[in-house]
Formats: sequence, structure tokens, C-alpha cells
Amino acid sequence: MILAFSLAVAVVFGSGVFLVIQRDLLRVVVGIVLISNSASLFIVAAGLTRGAVPIVPLPGGDGASASDPLVQAMALTALIITSSVTALLLSLIYRLYVSHDTMDIEDISVAELREAEALERKNRPEIEENPEKGPAAEELEERSR
Amino acid sequence: MTALSAAFSLAPLLPLLVALLAAPAAMLAGTLKPRLAAPVGTAFAALAFLATAFTWYRGGGTVDLAWAPTWGMRFTIALDGLAALYALLATGIGFLVLAYSSRYLPLHLDQEGRPEAEGARFYGFMLLFMGAMVGLAMAQDLVLLFVFWDLTAVASYYLIAYDRHDPDARASALMALLVTGITAVLLLIGALTLYATYGTLSVPDLAGSVEPGVTLTVAGLLIACAALAKSAQVPFHFWLPRAMAAPTPVSAYLHSAAMVAAGVLLLGRVYPLLEKSQFLLDVLLVVGLLSISVGAILALTRDVLKQLLAYSTISQYGYVVFLYGLGGEYGAAGAAFYVVSHALAKCALFLTAGAITEETGEDRLSRLGGLTKRLPLLAVASGAAAAGLAALPFTIGFFKDELLFEAALERGGLFAALSVLGAALTIAYTWRFWGGLFLGEGRDGAGSLPAALVWPVAVLGGLVLLGGLFVEPFALLAEAAGAASYGAPTPIEPAYHLDLRPTNLMAVGAFALGIAIVASRPLWERGALAVSRFGEVLGPERLYEWGVDALNRLSDYVHRAEVRDLRSRVAAILLPAGVLVGAGILVTPTVGAYRTGEVMRGDFPLLLALVVVAVAALTTTFTRRHVTLALVLSGAGFVLALVYAFLGAPEVTLVAVLVETFLTLLFLGTSKLIPYKVLHDQAKLPLGNQWRRVFFSCLASLFAFAVAWSALSQPAAENTVAEEHVRLAPDAHAQDTVSAILADFRALDTLGEVTVVALVILGVATLLNRGRLP
Repeated sequence: MILAFSLAVAVVFGSGVFLVIQRDLLRVVVGIVLISNSASLFIVAAGLTRGAVPIVPLPGGDGASASDPLVQAMALTALIITSSVTALLLSLIYRLYVSHDTMDIEDISVAELREAEALERKNRPEIEENPEKGPAAEELEERSR
Repeated sequence: MTALSAAFSLAPLLPLLVALLAAPAAMLAGTLKPRLAAPVGTAFAALAFLATAFTWYRGGGTVDLAWAPTWGMRFTIALDGLAALYALLATGIGFLVLAYSSRYLPLHLDQEGRPEAEGARFYGFMLLFMGAMVGLAMAQDLVLLFVFWDLTAVASYYLIAYDRHDPDARASALMALLVTGITAVLLLIGALTLYATYGTLSVPDLAGSVEPGVTLTVAGLLIACAALAKSAQVPFHFWLPRAMAAPTPVSAYLHSAAMVAAGVLLLGRVYPLLEKSQFLLDVLLVVGLLSISVGAILALTRDVLKQLLAYSTISQYGYVVFLYGLGGEYGAAGAAFYVVSHALAKCALFLTAGAITEETGEDRLSRLGGLTKRLPLLAVASGAAAAGLAALPFTIGFFKDELLFEAALERGGLFAALSVLGAALTIAYTWRFWGGLFLGEGRDGAGSLPAALVWPVAVLGGLVLLGGLFVEPFALLAEAAGAASYGAPTPIEPAYHLDLRPTNLMAVGAFALGIAIVASRPLWERGALAVSRFGEVLGPERLYEWGVDALNRLSDYVHRAEVRDLRSRVAAILLPAGVLVGAGILVTPTVGAYRTGEVMRGDFPLLLALVVVAVAALTTTFTRRHVTLALVLSGAGFVLALVYAFLGAPEVTLVAVLVETFLTLLFLGTSKLIPYKVLHDQAKLPLGNQWRRVFFSCLASLFAFAVAWSALSQPAAENTVAEEHVRLAPDAHAQDTVSAILADFRALDTLGEVTVVALVILGVATLLNRGRLP
């Protein structure tokens, strides 16, 4: 069973990582949810004992073994935090879409760099040659094609 | 009665307390009223001097308090001879320098058009410097020593860069901080090396237990490196002349009683360890000789007053290091005496340079001269100091050279000859400084220097002369300091002898040679300039510049790679973490550490559920459309809830079902908020170089597998906390153990979790409301 749990954790984690390194922000969030799922599974699987539901009175009397209640409490915490964070991430994506009209990481990076360069230009008026975009933004756009 | 005796046993703390209180007191006074900072600071320096003298007069003593006993660190300070000498120097010279600054600094700030309020910062850091020096002098624990050591570096950084609008001052301050700060780490490593072997950080205890060997040699070299860098010895000397960008009182203090003196103070403190290894003493000898010659030759070539003095300091501390390297009782006590006499003379010369630059606006020897008529008192006072530096009779300096010659004679003829040559070079550059300033053709007219810029020089010059006539008190102090370093009484009897003993002959030889060097300037001037140019082209400063430049470029590169976009930022965190985990797995023994575990009969539904979860997770990787993606994701989540149910965790199952429902609705809601066209375009995104991504996720997956498998393979403990929890649950008026844990045993965790949820709700509401709270 140990091997089976480890394999399941690894597969879910790997799929999550694959999604996290995509360009589509919604996929990134899905990847984060998968990684959190693998973490919860890992926590629950790490319970030191397996057995009856840890509700007293235990079915087998006082000496019977119950499932480890500590990992269950931790997993509960993890689940709640995951759901909250996911909600926050999804609202962030919505905000990004509203302000940038895209959910593509590369487009957003380009926009961010342009903004930084505009700020730089405002602070140092002497670099005025290329007002539209700086070298960094150009390079990034090139790369994303 | 017991309270009184307890207070008495803490009496040695008094100087340190007064010295450390000085900086905040001056800062506070300065914020209340800028004019108050100088008098309060000066008064505190005087108080600290008196406290040190009083405590030393009462017999010194040791205070030993537990600091971090489990790590062998103790707060041990002692006012022994060495500590008294350096603490008296730091506070006494500090007092004079601050008195000088009270007039100098307003002029300096006025010239640069800066507000008077900036003075408070100056006094604050000067006094912090003083407090750190007193602490450094008294510390007996190597880690405590390191703390004060770094405190002096911090204070010096702010003082050198006091003119912070000046890029040169900032670069110089950074150089001083880097050179002394990086080598300070070597001191810490050396201390920990000794601790690892001998189990103590206390210098007196170490002195009793260390034995010659590789450990001592390595640790001693590391500590000596830190000390030599602080004392600006070759090859670390380049930071000191650059540090002349600081205001003159800072330079005076830095050179005579703080920073640079801290290096030789450390040598004196750890001398009982160093002297056990002849190799370490030989290293000190070589470095000392190199510094004497490099410093002296370059001092003969410099035109800027403070530069000349800076190189002279390098050369003079070279003598101190040389004396420690010579070893023996004359070495230890002679080094201590040398520090005192050099401090008095050098401080006076620096203050002279500052006063002259204030008076004339010039800082180059070639444009100055003939100032005797304009500034007669300054000429006499600094003449006395210069005579002291050049070791003329009837000054304290004469005895420093007498001790040097005696120590060198003990080692043999070669060293005696070298020390005579060094003394002659000292005479030559001191003559160049004083003669260049005050002799020759000059304009007449009364000087207009304020008294506060002259009387500290006069006091120092007077002390130099006084030491030449009544050497007893200085000799006693140096003897005590020498005894603290050497571990046995070091009787030195400086006195004038009117006979033909070798030291007298050597002194006469040095005077004659010095005059010859001054007179034959045209013969060697070109050679000295060539040495100076060679040092500029190939010296260690080049190495420093190259290193700083390379670091800057590396940092720029890493910064650009890191902040390029979201993925690189995440990768910058995850990659090092992965490397660490990988290293952890690699060094952990693997034989017998991995278990497959047994599959019971009832486990097949569980296995099936795990397979479904894995397949669903894999499916998400090639699903294109977002709605399908959300549904597959929630499918995986619901089956995972089933897995929890099989594992006997009903609460987790219920919450997981709830959370999955919530997440599914969230994803579907988001897809509804964002127009179909954008989502559709997004789904058709060119997926780029997928093979690279597949490779990286497989790698990550392998790591996760290794970590999970090795963690889960650890055998279960005999007595688990689970039984305890189950037993205690009824006492918490609960039957369900998990809810007892959440609501009672670990209630604070739950409180934190509730806070997170509340914050997230606020955040989501704000984001959906276009950045405003609803």
C-alpha cells in the first residue's frame, strides 16, 4: 500500500506541475489544486495507524486501533486553505482579464515589462529614443511567438 | 548586603555600559536640539574614560554571565590590561576627537550646505564606534568578540559614508565594509573551528587547552586574516587610504583608537593561541615587514595629506604586527606600547591635517608650506606629535623604537637591520609631512582657527612629550597589556641610557639613515613612484574591483532571470528547494529504507480509487477545453474524497466533497465570467515546447515519488500520539477525536485558518469590485 500511495501522490503531483508550467493561467490554477490534492493525500496516507473511525467509543473496545486522527485534522486544515487560496487565485485571474484582456502569462509579462520601462522613462527622461517599447519587452514578445 | 556585593561583582560592566549608552544619549539629545548632540556626546566620552580608568584603578575584574550556554557561548567581559589599554584609548581619544568635532563638524556641514541636524547622526555613530571598541576590548568570548567586531564595521560604514551625496565616499565605505566584513566571517569560522575541537569559545580557556597542530594553524590563520584586514595590512591595505573620504575626525579616530586598532587588539587578545604555532608567528612577521615597507614607500610618494598619513598608519601597524610576530615578552608588551604612542601621535597629525585644510582650503602638500608664522601653536603641537611618530628623544616615541629594537635584537641581526631601516623610513615620511606643512616660504598673517581645532592637538602633543619625560604610567599600562597577551609578567623598562648599548646605536643609525633618505630624495623618488604605480596596476585593489564587478554582473543576471515572468519567479523558489531535496535523498542511506507495504484483502476498492484519481489527474494534462478541465478536476477530487472514506476519515471525506463542490462551482463561475471567445482562444494556445514541460514535470514527479515513498516507509512509532488523542477526547466533551483536535487541542491552528478564510473573502470581494472594498 505504501508504494501505491506514493505512486498516486507522484502522478497527481506531476500532472499538477505540468499544468503549473503552462501559459494559460486557468490551467496554472488547476495545477495548483492538483498539487494541493496530492499534498492532502500524502498527509492522510502518512497516518501512523489505520483502523476504525476515531470516534469514541471505538467498536473494538478501548484497546482497538483507530485511524490516526491527527493527520485527518491536518488534512482538513489543508483542504480549507486550498479552497480559499483557489478562490483568491481565480478572482485574481478575473481581475487580470478585466485589466489586460488576456489570461496568457506571456502577454501579461510583456505588459508588466512595458509598464516598468514606462516608469523608468518617467524617472530618467534622458532615455527617450524608443518610446514604444524597450529592448526587454521586445525580446519577450519575440520569444512568445 | 547581598545586593550590594552582587552590584560590586558586576562593577567591571560599568565602562561598557557607559560607553554603549553614549550613542543613544547623543542621538536623543540631537533629536531634541541639534546643538546638544556634541556636548552630550563629548561628556559621555569623558564619562566612559573616567569609568574605565576608575574600574581599572579598582583592579579590573571579570563578569561572566550565561548567554547561550547550550552552545558554549557566554557573555564574558573582563577589564584586564589589554582591555584597559584599548578602552582608555578608545574613550580618551574619542573624547578629544569629539571635542574637536564640535567645532569642525559645523564648519564641514556649513561648507556643504547641509543642515545642522545631520550632526546628531555623526555623534551617534562615533559613539557607537566607541562603545563597540570598548566592548571589543573587554570581550573574552570569541562570539561576543565577533559581535562587537561587526558592530565596529557597521559604525565605520556609516561614518566613512557620512558625506553620502558623494559617490566616492559611498564606494569607499562599501569597500571598507566588504573587506573587513568578509574577513570577519573568517574570524567566526576560526572561532567555530576551535569550538568544534576544544568545546569552548572563551579565549582564556582556549589558551589553556589548545595544542599545536593543523586545527590551531587553520583557525589561527583565519582569525589572523580578520585581524590583518581590519588593521589594513598587506594585502588588505587598500581600503584604508580610500577610507580617507570620511570627515577628518573620523579618519583620526579610525586610525588611532578604533577600527584599525581593533585588528591588532584582536591579535593581542588571541596571542596566547597564536604563539603556540611558530608558523603563525612567521606569517605575522612577513606580513608586518611587507606592510612596513609598502606603507612607508607609498607614504613617501603621496601628495594628499590624509593619504600620506593613511599609508603611514599601514606602515606603523605593520610594526605592531611585526612585534607580535617576533614573539617573546618584548614583542607582546612592545606591541601594546607601540599602539599607545602611535595613537597619540597619529591622532594629533590627522587633526592637524584637518585644521590646516579648514584654514587654507588646501589638502595637498605641494600647495602648502610655511605655515609656522600663521599657526604657531599648531606648528609646535603637531611638531611634538611628529617627533613622537619619528621616535625622537624626549618623546614617548623614542621608547617605542627602543622596545622594537630590543625585540628585534632578540631574534637576530637581520631583523635588527630591517627595523632600523623601517625606523629610518618613518623619520623620512614624518619629516616630509611636518616639514612640508610648516617650513619654507609662507605668507604672513594671523591664523583664524577656532580654539577647539587646536587645543585637542595641543593636548595630544603634550601627552607625547609628557610620555617622553615620565614614561612610567604608559609603560605600566603596556606591561599590563603585554602580560594579558603573553600570559606572564612582561617587565619593560623604558629609560634613557647614556651609553653605547646596541639599542642606542640602532636609534642613532636610524636617525642618520632617515636624514640620508630625506636628503637623497631625487635619487629614489622615481623608484618609489614606480612602486606606487605598479601597486595601482597590479595591486590587490584590482582583484577587489574585479570581484565586486563580477558579483554585480552575476546579481544582475540572476535578477533578470528571476523576475522575467511568473514562471521564472516560481522556478527561482522551487528549483533550489528541489536541489536541496535531491541532495537530501542522495545522502540518505537507501538500503532497507524503502518498503512496499502489504496489501490487505479489503484494500482493493482503495487501490481502484487511487488508480482512478491518477488517471483523472493525467487526463487534466491533455484536456483542452476549460469546462471539461474543471469537470475532470472535480472528478479527481470526488474520488479522492472516496479514498479518504476508505482510510477511516469521515470528516475529511465530508469536507473534501464540500470543497470539491465549491471549487467546481468556482471554476464554472469563472468560465462564465470570462467571455467564451477568450477562453476558446486560450484553449488553442500554441502549447510551445511541450517535451521540455513533460520532462520537467516527470522530474518533479520523480522527486515527489522519492520523498513520499521514503517518508511513508518510515516505520510507525510504538506509542503514537493518536492513542493519546483518542483517550483524551472524552475529557474535552467530545466523542469525535478529530473535532476535539480541531476545536480544542489545536484550536489556535483553527483560529489561524479561520483568519485566512476571512482575509480571502475580503480579498475576493475587493478584487471582484475593481479594487474597492464593497
